[in-house]
Amino acid sequence: MKILVYENTFQGFLTAIYEAFYSLEKPAKIISKFDYLRDFQLQLDTEVVEISVNQEKADKVYNAVLKKISTGTLSNLYYLFLSSDFDKGILAFYYLKFAFKKGKYTDNYLVDENVKPVHDIVWKVKQEKHRMKGLLRFKLLDNGIYYAAFEPDHDITELIAPHFSRRLGDQFWIIHDLKRLKAALYNKEEWIISDLTEKELPPLSAKEIEIQEIWKKYFKHISIKERKNNKLQKSFMPVRYWKHLVEKEE
Amino acid sequence: METVKKMAILADSAKYDVSCSSSGSNRKNSGGVGNGALSGICHSWSEDGRCISLLKTLYTNNCVYDCAYCINRISNDIPRASFTPRELADLTIDFYRRNYIEGLFLSSGVYPNPDKTMENLIETMEILRKEYKFFGYIHVKAIPGADPLLINKAGMLADRMSVNIELPSEKSLRLLAPQKSKEKIFKPMAQITQGLMQIGEEKGKYRFSQKFVPAGQSTQMIVGATNDTDLSIISLSQGLYDNFKLKRVYYSAYVPVNEGPNLPALIQAPPMKRENRLYQADWLLRFYGFKASELLDQDNQNFDMDLDPKCDWAIRHFDFFPVEINKASYNEILRVPGIGVKSAKKIIKMRKFGKIDFLGLKKLGVVLKRAKYFITCNGRYSEGLYIYPENLRNRLIQKKPADMQIKIFQESGL
Repeated sequence: MKILVYENTFQGFLTAIYEAFYSLEKPAKIISKFDYLRDFQLQLDTEVVEISVNQEKADKVYNAVLKKISTGTLSNLYYLFLSSDFDKGILAFYYLKFAFKKGKYTDNYLVDENVKPVHDIVWKVKQEKHRMKGLLRFKLLDNGIYYAAFEPDHDITELIAPHFSRRLGDQFWIIHDLKRLKAALYNKEEWIISDLTEKELPPLSAKEIEIQEIWKKYFKHISIKERKNNKLQKSFMPVRYWKHLVEKEE
Repeated sequence: METVKKMAILADSAKYDVSCSSSGSNRKNSGGVGNGALSGICHSWSEDGRCISLLKTLYTNNCVYDCAYCINRISNDIPRASFTPRELADLTIDFYRRNYIEGLFLSSGVYPNPDKTMENLIETMEILRKEYKFFGYIHVKAIPGADPLLINKAGMLADRMSVNIELPSEKSLRLLAPQKSKEKIFKPMAQITQGLMQIGEEKGKYRFSQKFVPAGQSTQMIVGATNDTDLSIISLSQGLYDNFKLKRVYYSAYVPVNEGPNLPALIQAPPMKRENRLYQADWLLRFYGFKASELLDQDNQNFDMDLDPKCDWAIRHFDFFPVEINKASYNEILRVPGIGVKSAKKIIKMRKFGKIDFLGLKKLGVVLKRAKYFITCNGRYSEGLYIYPENLRNRLIQKKPADMQIKIFQESGL
């Protein structure tokens, strides 16, 4: 069983897909290095090929998708890459194999076995992106920076950063993915992605706790007790996200 | 009084208002804080499962009116509080910068009169828009009886405006809210509609026209406080969508908060199932091309509590079916129970590239359990399906866990 392992960047992902297309023996799995290092079973496999990033090969795949298929398919590929799905590499390979046959109509084959799994994963990533635009919570630190920690299922920091740079354009902010130890940092002009392992925060601003108390009070009182329905609440707002919600803290 | 105490009192007073939608506005952030998100964004969900998108609060819960159904009526002995415009604007900004909310839903008790109330709401919005350069969402109530100039001014600052109809008939209004009248309520509504149309015309003429409630107007009706029928309620809704170009009509299951000779008893549970049926019917009006008169008539004036309005219609019009998935028009497909707007669109998109079969429909997300009685794929019904029209109704009624919950809830008498 041949396994391709790629470096965890979009270029690395595309390079691995390129190699899969041009190798005689088709790979059984295409795995990110991140997943590979955590899976000891896989490491025992002898036929592991580590693929290093090759910009030229990555560009070839990128441009071929853009020219011969569609921007929609390229965007799906990118969302797929950002997902935490273990099998995303091999799914991308079969998706593209199908896509190079069907061309620009690829994404209309909604129930095809090569297309549907990809669309389903892309939907999950987009769903979480939309949810986090609402569920992210900033706290004002005493150095004047608004800081938000979150632990999303998928790697969506760079997907939501543009939204907050438009919306909260006149304040310093940090969006910190504690799972992946990366962050988007914004300086009122532009945002960048950076590694951020620091977990110790500067103290909160004096006003922060007061505002949080008012928000918690509001949250409690806006609910109609005659209509109480915790199940409905949880279906809209999965419990795994509650950890970083101010209104759900005790 | 401390802000945190005011918040508790005024949130309690505002919570029976249903609308919390933040959709329909794409106001840009030009050099300040905030912007609109066209599809709207929910920021949290309270324990009753309702979405929290806007900071929904009253400016004051003081009120000179004595509407029988309302928690804030003058004759109730409850804690009273008022914000100042500055206080409320500050709070909105502080919440917004922390991403708690999409904006502000600003309503108020009428105190000491409609004009002064409207002025207070306008002042709050002016601080937000002009001083704080806030471009987030604002939904404001138009207070019936306020000067048309004030209503117009509010419309220039807000994204959405609403006037609550409260009760679906003049008779019910007389009974429970004698200080309000149909005329008083429809006047500001008509004014907003006219303002919207005028802006629409100007948009064609000038490059920059002013914004006037870009997200349109909505309204709300209380269900179950009076003996109005579902037919009269959805006929009214249809009129509001057709004539007043409303974006949304909200229905609010009456929560008994007061005692009164003309009111349901205090122990009665809110009619949640009925509210649910009205919303389903409302969706059929807005997105499925149904008319109120198709859904209910003089012989059936209320919705079937066991069956959703679409299934009910389908059973009563069984000669309309079967619909052939590979040939029928979009509007015909939309009439099939178990097929929603999303699936119908997918079907149209997909069938250009090959025939669709039942397995394909299932993968698309069609609820075959309901749809299979009403459709054929390539001229055939689902395999092994026998249809006995007289038995169809029983087949389609399913007890869901949600029904159970409501039942337990009603029995416990809470």
